[in-house]
Amino acid sequence: MKLATRIEKNTGWRLYLQTIIARAYPRLIGQQREKSWMFFDIFLPLLGVAAYVFVYRAIKAPEEYIGFVVVGGAMTAFWMNVLWSMSSQLYWEKEQGNLALYIMAPNSMTAILLGMALGGMLATLLRAAAIMLLGSWLFQVHYAVSSYLQLFAIFTLAMVALYGMGMMAASVYLLLSREAWHISNLAQEPIYLLSGFYFPVKSLNFWVALTASLIPLTLGLDAMRQLAFASGTSLGFLTVPVEIAALTVMSVIFLVGAKYLLAYMEKLAIQEGRLTESRR
Amino acid sequence: MKKILSIVFDPNLLRRWRSFRLATWLGWQIESNWTDPFLFGIYSIIKPLAGAAILVVMYSVITNGDFASPIFPYIYLGNAFYIYVGQVMTGISWAVIDDREHYKTIKYMYTAPIHFPSYLIGRGVARFIIATFSVFITILFGVLFLHIRIDFLQADWLLFLVSLLVGVNMLAMMGLILAGAMLLFAHHMWGLGDAVAGALYLFSGAIFPLDVLPAYLRPLGYLMPITYWLELLRRALIGNVAQAFPTLSSFSNLQLLGILVGLTLVFGVISKFSFRWCEAQAREKGLIDVVTNY
Amino acid sequence: MDFAIQTGDLSRIYKIRGGKKTEAKELVALHDVDLEVRPGELFGLLGPNGAGKTTLIKILTTLLSPSSGWAQVAGFDVTKEADKVRPRINMVSGGEASGYGLLTVRENLWMFAQFYGIPSAQANQRIKDLLKIVGMADRLNSKSSDLSTGLRQKMNIVRGFLTDPDVLFLDEPTLGLDVGASREVRRFIRQWVDDDPTRTILLTTHYMVEADELCDRVAIINQGRVLACDTPAALKKRLQSEAIFRLEVTPLNGFRVDQLETLPGVRKITHQLQDSSSVLEFILAQDDALASVVNQMTHNNIHILNLQKHEPTLEDVFVDLVGRSIEEVESETGDPD
Repeated sequence: MKLATRIEKNTGWRLYLQTIIARAYPRLIGQQREKSWMFFDIFLPLLGVAAYVFVYRAIKAPEEYIGFVVVGGAMTAFWMNVLWSMSSQLYWEKEQGNLALYIMAPNSMTAILLGMALGGMLATLLRAAAIMLLGSWLFQVHYAVSSYLQLFAIFTLAMVALYGMGMMAASVYLLLSREAWHISNLAQEPIYLLSGFYFPVKSLNFWVALTASLIPLTLGLDAMRQLAFASGTSLGFLTVPVEIAALTVMSVIFLVGAKYLLAYMEKLAIQEGRLTESRR
Repeated sequence: MKKILSIVFDPNLLRRWRSFRLATWLGWQIESNWTDPFLFGIYSIIKPLAGAAILVVMYSVITNGDFASPIFPYIYLGNAFYIYVGQVMTGISWAVIDDREHYKTIKYMYTAPIHFPSYLIGRGVARFIIATFSVFITILFGVLFLHIRIDFLQADWLLFLVSLLVGVNMLAMMGLILAGAMLLFAHHMWGLGDAVAGALYLFSGAIFPLDVLPAYLRPLGYLMPITYWLELLRRALIGNVAQAFPTLSSFSNLQLLGILVGLTLVFGVISKFSFRWCEAQAREKGLIDVVTNY
Repeated sequence: MDFAIQTGDLSRIYKIRGGKKTEAKELVALHDVDLEVRPGELFGLLGPNGAGKTTLIKILTTLLSPSSGWAQVAGFDVTKEADKVRPRINMVSGGEASGYGLLTVRENLWMFAQFYGIPSAQANQRIKDLLKIVGMADRLNSKSSDLSTGLRQKMNIVRGFLTDPDVLFLDEPTLGLDVGASREVRRFIRQWVDDDPTRTILLTTHYMVEADELCDRVAIINQGRVLACDTPAALKKRLQSEAIFRLEVTPLNGFRVDQLETLPGVRKITHQLQDSSSVLEFILAQDDALASVVNQMTHNNIHILNLQKHEPTLEDVFVDLVGRSIEEVESETGDPD
């Protein structure tokens, strides 16, 4: 049988889009075929968040702090997605031999990473939504949203900046071996602490909070609390307009930075022969 | 004497011991050599301290730093020892995913003449050792900087050691239950150990007394052996301060220990049967050495 | 485009990290490799494990930089113009475990096709056609985690051809395949190149028969150096003036084979131990030299159990160039390819 020769292949933005969809596909389909994650990825984290709620109840915190925990707990889903579905995923892909095939193909690494993140987004959104909705209902959280538009803008900007930062971090993983998993593991609790996932980041030292603001979720969470809770403004680190501006700048810097850092790290990994090694 | 020797040198027992011993060595090789010892030490310090610091800051914000209140050592020590829960359970259950999906050696381990559950438990020992270091650092930090008062002369070290030993066995049984489940799950469930530990955080009285929970949830806490284990450890180290909370105050140390041992045995039996069932299911479906990876 | 693949003084040195008590050392994987592969060629790279074949492929597929020298694929430099090289190439390795276990064969292949910009409809049709060729039409919707090693490798091979590359790199592609499947795959490889003169394949193998059967030209590589490069027929013709004999003899009982190398007309000898005998292969300048060999052995109480003369094979060419058989070289080497 002769195969038809010379296929017309897409390039440019079409190829970019095809790559995103193709890389998101395995995760989306895998989640449909093996649904155990629904219980473990949604229900169990809700219980974990509930534990922090009861700590606040045990020490008689104002009810709004319960709301902070619920919102913070929901946002951990996005941090976990960036950390495990994007950054560390490259390490696993390297181990399996897929990374070499991705690099060798004429697609863009940013498209691959976006595809990875989007593929995990279904589970992430479900997890965040479950924690928000169920947590708010179970613990009778009352919101007083002052501006839905600003809230939406903050959330979107925080996500764009966060995923840009995730892509930058992922580029470093091109060089890493087993330490990749441990670095991702290390980046959970310290980030929850420094970014104020469960308490207003203002409680930390000013300079610590300012440094922690390099992580988009710090300012994102702080602004969301200010917009969603009555006492939020008094517990805010910076004003909402300042935080929106900062997140906008961060989005641009991280996305542009991701493009250049990915290219640089890929070049470095190719020079050092790290793309295909498996130093388990 | 003959009977004792025949028990000690029982081939089955020897096989289990050999499997456990080799897996302990292997687990340590895997867990410890991914970086140099200095960075390894840093990693083992930062992670648990950050986890503790979240609670410390939460507490400090609300109570204006009232570390003298008995609730603070309750929270702090409970959280410190809870490190064992996540680490041991994850260490054992993770070995299935690691061997199956990453190293792809599970088929060789499984078909070798070893006792597979003992092998998995042995793989968790490295995490136990790392957890011990983390627990020690966390408690030391609390004693030095956060006014946790542990009188080393007054502490009941015998109770502490016995409780710790029984508790670790209990955690190993729970880890084995998860490991069995992991045989049936795809790679994306690699975080199951941590997720379950996170969920049990709620029901184990680790960071707040069970009385804080709604009444309908408290029975779950009473069914959890971790609840009694943490209470015993707290009592061993800080005595009366731990007993200031009404939840388990009507139980003596011996009663708590008895309940812990009893529940450990129950979980031991559950783990044996659940692992066997999961294993049989995995064999039937050809999942023992499947590589799902995505 | 004059050449599909071209390299000049191509070298690659790996730094191997030492342990706590040993220093890092350097491993020369490739040394001054010069190659020219024309479009439409099925070019073979033949050598033992650890010869540098995979390192060369990694450089040509833009996964690894050379330490010195240069390489071009499809007319573009692999280091400076990698993004122009990549749309034109693909690679299949033996024993690879790429893809995702929970996806079906079709889904895995479709996904990789998307990375090359192939429209879905075309990709799906092509997948069906290729799977039919390799005899896997009935496994289109099987999960790849359910495939045996051989079927998995066939799926990998399909992945390589799926994107219709100008230059295809096959690194030990028949590893894991049974005899029948290997034969089918080799037939398909040959046909694929013959169907379109713009297609080129670089095939690495350590199976002499595969290189002999398939390749238009073969480069023999050992320890990072290209020792010879020509058509299989021309390479074998180098030895035709010589005579190759295979002798099965009684146990040597301490007799040193290298004593025979000093006899006139004896060019090379390789020696293999078997259960109750030894097998000696001789490359002799002419047939006459055999007599003195036999005399010497008889004088030392070594008797001939079996004697065969055979036509030179690529293995003989390799022995002639390297001084040892490919198995002997592999048993000595433990370094990565």
